[in-house]
Amino acid sequence: MSKKLKEVLANAGISMDLQSGGAAPEKMVDREVKREPHPRIKKLKDIFMDTLSSANNEFTYWYTREYMMHDCEIPVVRRAMALKSAFSHSTPAIYPGELLVMHKASYFRGSFPMPWLSEGFYMAHEDEFYKEALKRGSASVDEHSKFGQGGGNVTKSFGKVISIAGKFGMRQEEIPALLKLAKMWYGKSVDDLGNKYEKMVPEYKTKEQIMRSIICMFDSGFTLPQGREIINYYYPLEYGFDGIIKIAKELKDKVAGKADGDGMVGMNRLYNYEAIILVIEGMQKWINNYAKEAHRLEKITQDEKQKEEYKSIAERLEWIEHNPPRTFIEAFQMIETLHIGVLNEDAISGMSPGRIGLVLYPYFEQDIEAGRLTEDEAIELLEQDRIVKTSIDCFASTGVVGGVLSGNTFNTVSVGGLDREGQSAVNRLEYLILEASANNAMPQSTIALLYDEKLPEDFLMLAMEVIKCGTGYPAFMNTVIAQEFLMKQYCKEGMNLEDVRSWAIGGCLETSPSVWELLHLNGKEYWIPGGAGQPTSVGVHFLSMPKVLELVLFNGIDPRTKEKVYEPHNSKLETYEELWKQFKLYWQITCQVLTWTNNIQHDVWRKNNMAILNSLMKPDCLDKGHLINELGYRYNGTFSIESAGTITMVNSLAALKKIVYDDKSETLDTIKDAILDNFGFKDASEVNSFSLADQERKNNDAGKWEKLHFEVLQAPKYGNDDKFADNILLEWEEFFCEDATHYESLYGLNMYPCQISVSTHGAMGSATLATADGRLSGTTFADASMSAFPGTDRNGPYALLNSASIWDHAQSQNSQLNIKIHPTAIRGIEGSKKLLALTRAYMRKGGFHIQYNIVDSKVLAAAQKNPENYRDLMVRVAGFTQYWVEIGKAVQDELIARTEYEGV
Amino acid sequence: MENLLYRDARNYVPIDVTKGIDHLTGQIVMADKEAPNGYEVMPKCKNCKNFKDDGELMGICESSMSNPKFFAYPDMVAVTCEMYSNKL
Repeated sequence: MSKKLKEVLANAGISMDLQSGGAAPEKMVDREVKREPHPRIKKLKDIFMDTLSSANNEFTYWYTREYMMHDCEIPVVRRAMALKSAFSHSTPAIYPGELLVMHKASYFRGSFPMPWLSEGFYMAHEDEFYKEALKRGSASVDEHSKFGQGGGNVTKSFGKVISIAGKFGMRQEEIPALLKLAKMWYGKSVDDLGNKYEKMVPEYKTKEQIMRSIICMFDSGFTLPQGREIINYYYPLEYGFDGIIKIAKELKDKVAGKADGDGMVGMNRLYNYEAIILVIEGMQKWINNYAKEAHRLEKITQDEKQKEEYKSIAERLEWIEHNPPRTFIEAFQMIETLHIGVLNEDAISGMSPGRIGLVLYPYFEQDIEAGRLTEDEAIELLEQDRIVKTSIDCFASTGVVGGVLSGNTFNTVSVGGLDREGQSAVNRLEYLILEASANNAMPQSTIALLYDEKLPEDFLMLAMEVIKCGTGYPAFMNTVIAQEFLMKQYCKEGMNLEDVRSWAIGGCLETSPSVWELLHLNGKEYWIPGGAGQPTSVGVHFLSMPKVLELVLFNGIDPRTKEKVYEPHNSKLETYEELWKQFKLYWQITCQVLTWTNNIQHDVWRKNNMAILNSLMKPDCLDKGHLINELGYRYNGTFSIESAGTITMVNSLAALKKIVYDDKSETLDTIKDAILDNFGFKDASEVNSFSLADQERKNNDAGKWEKLHFEVLQAPKYGNDDKFADNILLEWEEFFCEDATHYESLYGLNMYPCQISVSTHGAMGSATLATADGRLSGTTFADASMSAFPGTDRNGPYALLNSASIWDHAQSQNSQLNIKIHPTAIRGIEGSKKLLALTRAYMRKGGFHIQYNIVDSKVLAAAQKNPENYRDLMVRVAGFTQYWVEIGKAVQDELIARTEYEGV
Repeated sequence: MENLLYRDARNYVPIDVTKGIDHLTGQIVMADKEAPNGYEVMPKCKNCKNFKDDGELMGICESSMSNPKFFAYPDMVAVTCEMYSNKL
């Protein structure tokens, strides 16, 4: 049998010991803190745990049917009519025990395709789907009702269920309709129209090559056109749906026929208000259908308590269908309805509720004072909210949902932070949000704790307790750094210090602009925060830095595909400076061409598929009469350039600098040959493991590259407080953060740097040859943007923090650092204090984000072997928490291999 | 008439593509299992007077305002459809 890398190195006296700061106990250790939700929530959670991601065509059908009827209508009104019809015809699904109701589709974990964004996937698989749909049916569904690996993912077709994109299950009875609907959007979808026009960009061929080489893996214009932003619940909470219609009607009368000095889009206000009214009417009908269903269930249910609950649900829905909420539970139902409504409007990942502890506080405070609500009841609702959010699926392509998102939809809740006056914003409800997140540990809502020195110590210690549940949340984000970034990016759009303080995390960890609005409740006033910015999921996303470096080394040709991606530079790369200069040139070509092509995709989106519901909720759309597509939002400079594989590239440059250019112990050609030969190892896909240590030597390898491989593995690595490597990171960050601002979005505003990897370090790693740092072909890159490559951070956690904070994080929208810690290292109160001290140290050094996996690596290895025993095991990947069984093997392997700290 | 499957019954709410809850008993049941006798039929296009079956799981909605008439498919739930007219 072929030798594994860890065996080869062990023979040479080099240990791939991935434990740092001590040795883990031999016996497998569970997490220290374990809690349970309320019994009602436990029952609902049990249903979720045995639920398959399911899709149907209902929303799709009614949207398409209405849209196709109005050929010559004004685009925004046509879209509003389609949305109204789709919401109005969505079948209500209410489950016993629910207090908060309404779902995306008529399943517990339902979703639906949006072929108006992209229909190509269904068309491409037409034959396969048809055959499956018409032939299937003999197998018993019962045989397949238990999950295999993949949790709720429908990875394969079975019985009468067709797997779509390896994730969603659709009944065979729906497949012909899906394909017919997809065909209706051929040539009309954002994908098709965008592609028609992006081909007119003279450099389009380079874009195609970039995508084919997986330097970039995301066309943001039609995959996920919105998201990584904060929703804003203010207007419906303050005015109610009837109130919004009244405002829109009054303003419609005021602007009809008038340009008011704006000859470009002044007239559009009339159509926009008309669209707003139509969409709100659709929402009202949707709510009303749920109310009717609750009344129906009240009549047929025998259980008196359940009967009473259905009655209350119906009454709540009937109230919020028209009016602003009066109580905590009404307000909670209202924001839940709005949230799901917005997610049904578009393919969105990362529509974050934001700081709901402040948004819901007025109702909480008054209900508690009046004796209408107990804290325990509030916690129960917060626990159910976690099921609602975890049940949200986004129906998109395999590459996006699997390769990028790991099935996560990033409905992040933010806690902590500052209030409008600059004092701690923590209130009693935020403590309960943390309590509920520990009681009902589920991936959503992932929690972002906006850290500031002013936050109460007991709140921070409670956060440590939650982290020790192994939830992977709350993540800590640095308020000082975020505020500095926001001022820099949005001051030109009028952002002031007060509004800076209303910020929150959109998506997994995107610093997103927000505003304060004044809410009135029973004669009392409250400033509540809400999103005021465009999506930050947009722009040029996930650029593989190691792959760009590979193209530099191989003169613009991708050795994997043998195709030319960039014009050959023909430089001999004789100095490190030449190498670095060429890397920057290829990087800039990539950013520029993708900016132009993405701008076209987004422009098609804004012309035909603009947000209406999400827009009307965001300041200042309702007031100005302009939606997202006409710069109606308060802040519009949200497009970004997003990097991936930072640390793998930094380590690669460090190895090249040290070995080729400084020590001159090997030539660049030799290293290139070794890379092409994968240092004598098999490709990771052949080994079916994506961690470095498990890679196997080729059967015929005579050890030609052994010495060189040892040498590059021993070269300076990021994460050890070693300036040789860290200064390369510094140089990159200084270049990247400045360079990103030179690209212009379709809204005429400059872009900025974004540094999160989500799951792309797995998918992009699989398309990248070996790298000069000794990483082998097909294995994952280092996680996130500031996490060390597995096993290379050997000087303890504080050294890693020093490496990560060598650059000014306020120059970027974000950065990410994840650390894996063994549960015994932070046991008890003293352990919690140590973890808080570590976190605080990073914040004080100027780090932006840190989060932990509190888990014994042996548990992860066991979970990979026997996933059926670990359905509820959660892990932190990049900026999100996900069920272990729902993430891909490449990322699982990287998590197992990641350095485990035995002491902090 | 064939026996009614749970997934075609009015008081069945689907959890996912394979199973759901019988609201009358509170039990989780399989979608393709037969419902007890006497269960109410779920309004679906296939049970509507306005649905013209075209075969292969497709048909036409005769009450559609489009020209030509828009398609429909037999399995679609029609609880919220204002044009639904029960043919059973």
